[in-house]
Amino acid sequence: MNEELDSQLSAMFDNELPAAECELLARRLSRDEQLKARWGRYAVIGATIRAEGGVRLNAPLASRVSAAIASEPALAAEPAPQPKKRVENRWWQPVASAAAVAGVAAGAILWMRAQSPDLTAEVARTTPVVPAVATMAAAVPASATSQINTGEPETYVVPRMPLRRRLVVPSTELANYVVAHSEFSSPVARRNLLSSFMANEPGTAAASGGSEELTEDVQDDAKTPQ
Amino acid sequence: MSADVSDLSLVRRVQRGDKGAFDALVLKYQHKLVKLVMRYVRNPAEAEDIAQEAFIKAYRALPQFRGDSAFYTWLYRIAINTAKNAVVSRDRSPIEYDLDRNNTDESYDMQGRMKDSETPEGLVLTDEIRSTVNAAIDALPEDLRTAIVLRELEGLSYEEIAATMDCPVGTVRSRIFRAREAIDRRLREVFEGGLGRVEELG
Repeated sequence: MNEELDSQLSAMFDNELPAAECELLARRLSRDEQLKARWGRYAVIGATIRAEGGVRLNAPLASRVSAAIASEPALAAEPAPQPKKRVENRWWQPVASAAAVAGVAAGAILWMRAQSPDLTAEVARTTPVVPAVATMAAAVPASATSQINTGEPETYVVPRMPLRRRLVVPSTELANYVVAHSEFSSPVARRNLLSSFMANEPGTAAASGGSEELTEDVQDDAKTPQ
Repeated sequence: MSADVSDLSLVRRVQRGDKGAFDALVLKYQHKLVKLVMRYVRNPAEAEDIAQEAFIKAYRALPQFRGDSAFYTWLYRIAINTAKNAVVSRDRSPIEYDLDRNNTDESYDMQGRMKDSETPEGLVLTDEIRSTVNAAIDALPEDLRTAIVLRELEGLSYEEIAATMDCPVGTVRSRIFRAREAIDRRLREVFEGGLGRVEELG
């Protein structure tokens, strides 16, 4: 038999073999009957040195236990610490919940914003007005054209921006909503949204001379057929 | 070095369904366990029965063994409890134990084993093994004998033996291995060829 293997077996018997080597040798020991017999004799040597009087050194105890164990079902795989796993998995659950709530909130905000076209979209929508006026000017009868060309200044009708009219939810309420859910949004995104709302606020618009328009818009609303 | 690393590797194998690894644990600790149980019962055969029961209980409980304590410490507790229960059970029905042992198979078997343990042949075999081992130890060089005795009798670790003998740990490992090999060579003759009556190693 390999001397190195026997040396390892001796060290393993004394619990003095490194763990990595133990794993390999334990596997071999459990299958190799010759190695197991040597292992058993090491135990006999130890029992003799300790002078364990009264103990039968040739008793068939090991074979009796082995026969009894043979009729037992093999043990299942190493028991998994189920509760521990649950604890390990819990850490992401609040994060996932927060992410879901934030996602819903962001979706709701975006949907509401989509209901009221933003300034860019509005400008884009109203831009064709100018060529339309030009087209109209081209289609105007010659008399009218001559009237225009007779010195009257060119006029340009600035299209009204019915932005505030179309808001389903007032900006103030949207701002409150964003502030109330501020824990689920990043500071930058929150600030951008609030800035956007402030830009669309009636008071802010008034500073740029929009208060009259608002009044007119409301009056127009009353006239607009539903 | 972990105090229980090799036992633990065997235990883990048993927990994964390798019954052969449990044989190694039984072979290693059977004598210690029988000796322990004999504190409670005098008869060696009865002690072996209790030890066997303790081993089977340990096997069944092994999935719950986490390795918080050394395997032998855990096994020791199981054996002590099994022995105490056996003594209580026997004391509750001593008359039945004595009178019925000729009538039931189990008691008859027990009686048979008790007789077997007391047979001259059984005693001779055990004595032969002991004398062979002791003679082999006496024949060992001093450094090998000291190393194996410090390990087996005093239970010192390799590091402690190295400190005691003022030599490297690797030398201790080598000395203990060579001592075992020398003793085992003589012992194998007894088991395999010498008397020819020992069918198993104990």
